[in-house]
Amino acid sequence: MRSSVLLMFVFIFTICVCKASVRAESSPVSLGQPTEIPQEEKTPVINKANEDGELKHTVSAQQPDNTRKEDTTPANTTQADEELQHDDVESEPPLIKDPLQPYNRAIFTFNDKTYHYFVKPIYTGYNSMVPEKARVSVKNFFTNIKMPVRFFNCLFQGKLKGAGTELARFVINSTVGVAGLFDPAKSKFHLERHERDFGQTLAKHKMNSGIYIVWPFLGPSTVRDTVGLVGDAALNPLSWISYFFLTPLEGFGNYSYDAVNDFSIDKGQTYENITEPAIDPYIALQDSYIQNRGKKTKE
Amino acid sequence: MKYRKITSAICIGVFSLTCMPPLLWAGEPGKLLMETIDKGFAILKDPSLKGDEKVQERRQMLWKEISPVFNFEEMSKRSLGQHWKSRTPEEKKEFVELFTNILKDAYIGKTDTYSGEKVVIISEKQDKNYATVQTRFITNTGTEISVDYNMHNNPGRWTIYDVIIEGVSLVNNYRSQFNNILIKSSYKELIQKIKAKQSKEETSTK
Repeated sequence: MRSSVLLMFVFIFTICVCKASVRAESSPVSLGQPTEIPQEEKTPVINKANEDGELKHTVSAQQPDNTRKEDTTPANTTQADEELQHDDVESEPPLIKDPLQPYNRAIFTFNDKTYHYFVKPIYTGYNSMVPEKARVSVKNFFTNIKMPVRFFNCLFQGKLKGAGTELARFVINSTVGVAGLFDPAKSKFHLERHERDFGQTLAKHKMNSGIYIVWPFLGPSTVRDTVGLVGDAALNPLSWISYFFLTPLEGFGNYSYDAVNDFSIDKGQTYENITEPAIDPYIALQDSYIQNRGKKTKE
Repeated sequence: MKYRKITSAICIGVFSLTCMPPLLWAGEPGKLLMETIDKGFAILKDPSLKGDEKVQERRQMLWKEISPVFNFEEMSKRSLGQHWKSRTPEEKKEFVELFTNILKDAYIGKTDTYSGEKVVIISEKQDKNYATVQTRFITNTGTEISVDYNMHNNPGRWTIYDVIIEGVSLVNNYRSQFNNILIKSSYKELIQKIKAKQSKEETSTK
C-alpha cells in the first residue's frame, strides 16, 4: 500500500516537472528577449529619429504598443514610462521615409493589378489541381533547399544555437523527411525553423533601413532590405543551380514556381488581408511591412 | 480505513492538480480572451449554422459573442491619435461607429472560410491595468501566425484595444493611413473616404 502511494507520488512529480519544462519552453519569448535586443535599439536615437522609421519606434514618447513588451522589462521601467507607453494615444505614427512615393504608388498599383489579374488566377487554378498536402510538401522542399540562407545569416547574426538547429533540421529533413518533402524536424523533434535573412544581418550591424522602395513583382522593401535580397539570393542554392546548370528562363521558372506555391499556401491571403480592409492600401501595406520588419530585426 | 480515505483524497487532489487545463495559469484577461475565442469557434463549428444560406445568421451570432470584448472607442481614439482631441463629441461618435463597421466588415467575412484552424495561448503579461496576451494562430497547413492582444482594464472589464499580427499593430496601421490622409487633406475628406469604402463594400457583398 505504502509503496504504491510512493510510486504514485513519483509519477505525479515527474508529470509536474514535465509540464513545467514544457511551459518554460513554450515561452522563451519573454525570457530571452531583453538580452537579445540589437545594439541599435539601445542607443539614444532622438536625433536620428526622423531619418529612420524603425528607429523612431523606440523613442519612448512615440512608442507603439507592439514594441513595448519587447524592449522593456517590468523591472526597469518607471511609472512614468509605463504611462507613456500605454497612453500613446496622441503620439504620431512613426514617420517612414518615402520620398519616392509617386513612383512607389505607381509600382504598387502595377503589382496590385498583377496580383489580382495574373498571380491570383494562376495560383487559384494551381490550387484546384494540386491538393494542399502536395503544396505543403513543395513548400517544405524549397524551404529545405534554402537552408544556407538561414544557416549563414544565423552565423552572421551570432546566433550559434540557431545555426546549429538549422543544420540539424537540414540533416533530419533531407534524410528522414525524404529530401525535404516533409518536416519531421519540426513535427517529431520540435526543432523550429529560424527565419533569418540578410536584411536582418545588416540591421544587426547597424545599417539604417533607408528609404522605402516598392519593386515591381517583389513588392515592398527598403534600401537595406534590397541589399538584403541580393545577399540572400547569393546564399540561395536555387540561384547557384540556376547559374551553373539552367538557362535563365528555367532559373526564372524555378523562382516563379516557388513564389506561386508560396502564394497558394497563405501569402495571397496575407496580402489580401492587409490591403482589402484598408482605406489607403498603399499606406497599409507600407506600414505593415515596416512594422513587421521592425519586429523581425528585433528578434 | 482512515488511511485509505486519506490516500484517495490525496490522489484526487493531486490528480486534479496535474490535469488542470493550461488556462488556469493564465490570468483574467487571457482567460476572457480564450473563452471568447472558444465561443467563436463553437459557433463556427455548429453544424446547424453551417452552409452558405446561414452566412448572415452565423455572422450575426459571432459578432454578438465577440464584439463585447473589443473596445471600439479606444481603438478609434488610438487610430486617430493626435487628431482625436480636436473632434466634437458628435464627430467622435460618428467616427467610432464608422471605424467599428470597417473592422466588422473586414474581419467577420474572413470567418466564412473557417476550416478547423486553432488558437493557442503562449504567454500573458499583465501590469496593473494593461495586459498583453500572446497567442498563436495555427492554420491547417501548419503555419503559425503570432497574434498578440493588448488589453486594458476599464473599471472591472478587460477589453481589447489593439491586435498585433506578426508584429503589425492593427491600430498603428490605421493610424498611419488616417494620419497620411489628414496631413494632406481635411477630416471631412477622411470621413468621406471611409464612407465611400463602406458603400463599395456593401454593394460588393450584396
